Amino acid sequence: MEALTLETLNGVGLFATLAVVALGLGIVFGLMGVINLAHGEFVMVGAYTAFVAHDLGLSHWASLPLAAAVLFVLGALIEITLIRRIYRKPELTILATFGLSIVLRQAVELIFTKDFRSVPNPVPGATRALGVLFPTYRYLLIAIAVGVVAATLLAFTRSRFGLVVRAIVADRDLAESSGLRTGTANIFAFGIGAATAGVAGALVAPLGAVEPQLGLSYLPGAFLVVIVGGFSRLWGVVVGALIIAIAQTGVIHYYDTVTAQIVSLGLAVLMLQVRRSSVAGAST
Amino acid sequence: MSTSHPIRKKRPPRLLLGAVLLAVALVAASCGNDDDGPATDASAPAAETATAAATPAPTAPPAPTEAPEPEPEPPAEPVRIGILFSNSGPAGVFGPPVANIAEMIEQDINAAGGINGRMVETYLADDATDPEVGRQAMEQLLDSDNVDVVLGTHSSATRQAAKPLAEDANVLYIYTALYEGGECSAVMFNTGEVPSQQLAPAIPWIMEQTGDAKWFLVGNDYVWPRRSFELARQYIEAAGGEVVGEEYVPLGTQDFSSVAQKIASSGAELLFPALVGGDAIAFETQAVDFGIGQDAIPRLANIYEENVLGAMGPAVTAGMRVTLGYFKEVDSPANAEFVQRYYDAFGADAAPHMTFSSHIYDAALLYAAAANSAGTTDTEAVVAALEGRSLTTPTGDIAVTESRHLAQPIYIAEIQDDGSQEIVQTFPAVEPDETCDLS
Repeated sequence: MEALTLETLNGVGLFATLAVVALGLGIVFGLMGVINLAHGEFVMVGAYTAFVAHDLGLSHWASLPLAAAVLFVLGALIEITLIRRIYRKPELTILATFGLSIVLRQAVELIFTKDFRSVPNPVPGATRALGVLFPTYRYLLIAIAVGVVAATLLAFTRSRFGLVVRAIVADRDLAESSGLRTGTANIFAFGIGAATAGVAGALVAPLGAVEPQLGLSYLPGAFLVVIVGGFSRLWGVVVGALIIAIAQTGVIHYYDTVTAQIVSLGLAVLMLQVRRSSVAGAST
Repeated sequence: MSTSHPIRKKRPPRLLLGAVLLAVALVAASCGNDDDGPATDASAPAAETATAAATPAPTAPPAPTEAPEPEPEPPAEPVRIGILFSNSGPAGVFGPPVANIAEMIEQDINAAGGINGRMVETYLADDATDPEVGRQAMEQLLDSDNVDVVLGTHSSATRQAAKPLAEDANVLYIYTALYEGGECSAVMFNTGEVPSQQLAPAIPWIMEQTGDAKWFLVGNDYVWPRRSFELARQYIEAAGGEVVGEEYVPLGTQDFSSVAQKIASSGAELLFPALVGGDAIAFETQAVDFGIGQDAIPRLANIYEENVLGAMGPAVTAGMRVTLGYFKEVDSPANAEFVQRYYDAFGADAAPHMTFSSHIYDAALLYAAAANSAGTTDTEAVVAALEGRSLTTPTGDIAVTESRHLAQPIYIAEIQDDGSQEIVQTFPAVEPDETCDLS
């Protein structure tokens, strides 16, 4: 019973992490058709923002909105200078963002060197709840990650801004000729996608090393989530994260981590086959 | 299926599937694409680029420039020492100390009169922690830099990719990184620690120290941790211990919650983590909060070095034991003097000098001694002179074995409360359990 509770909490923790890391990837892919290979680097820059904030003596919690702001500005600049020139060309977005990811990694390496940096856990230790001891920071990570994902999804589905973005997604030409400012909406959509990655990076920073390669560890998982969850709806990120988290946690518990990795990849391949039709619907 | 509609619907998925596959491929390749390009160290005089290529065997060494005369003789062709290392990608963090040591190799060997009277120059090439880039870097060293010897500290994957080039060119290739063992080639020597050296003495030692016997083994999923664990099992069982769990995680794993759970519920009393770089830091950082930190389950680690330990912080690492062939704390006058010179030259906050950089230095000294003794840099002659050669270096007493590995001291360091390393046990002249029959 205790083991089940703990594994459930582990699963929820993994779900929350995957969802908040993959959210931005899902937004720019699902809404804008941009396959962003620099998404991991956005997460990495978010983690470095948390490192710098800690270095400046700021609270770790203050680094979360800071990372969001830094990445929003960075994302907006990248949209204006790079992404807007290559909409509707998925192959080009792959190459361009792949190049961008190298530039970002090297830039960070130039500034911070290759050394491992660390952000101390603001709430070390574990909390006893539900009859088990579970790391306190993970409880907070789960709450914040779920909050960020929910707020972002609501913004895209319930607000006027979300309506505009979805109108552009549905038909860019018609939206433009109806007087919608597609340029501004794109800047905001890409910026918000980057901002959520920044928050994700700051959130995971105390759980491991902050280093220029950090994004490469998170990108494959984020892609798995988006592939498994599907591209057609933003909620797909939530569904994908849930499926991957359950599969990973369960398989690791009963078998081992290597098998869990294989199962996750297998799920992605399977889902790509199953979702062919819905993929087509979203990619127009 | 003949209307235009399904066709229109079918094309995008193919495109997307292709795009995703391309994306994955690019991600996989990306570690290798941020290299700075093979960089040559040391201001190599441009005039010397006109030298003959191919065989690195200008046999007749000119008379040593012993004369204190003001008019110098025409400088002899330098001996070129290539260094293949990881200066970018996941293992790039180990690059800076190796690059520093390359400078000291030049200085020290030249100060001692060079090799057969010829000065030495080092040429650095970065494998970006990627075997394909490593192969190209080896090509660069052999074909463009015309090196006489290659010293390598990088992954086994890069070694496998680069080795055939050295064999074809018949250039001596000394692999100096700690690795899983088993390498045997006519042009190769392997001077890094192999698992049998790190583990055979250390496992019984820590079991005696702690009085514990139940082990959990957790490592990254590739050949070196797997080989280490295979041997660890033998030594643990021989010492009367028991392995209660063994888990491998993919490189780049960031969430260790479920693995931590397994370790916690396994009843393990000792933990052997063979995790590298960021994975090690993520694991240990998270383990503390899951109640399986060093205080609960003592560690014997075989790759945790100063970069990694520093990022974990002393609160996490205090008390951990690490078994390696070198720590900068090695207590000998020669080492103290060497470490002092290192930090004087590169600054107090220089990248820590550690087992990888130390083994590169030792290999260079071994090469210089062998080439001096052979009176030539001809590969066959140097290989013959290397066999059985022994030397005392800052690392300690080392000797080339029949298996073309190195009998060397193994040290166990315990991490102190302030994060510093203190050597608590020294095993001198530990023989590697390796064989190499080239006949």
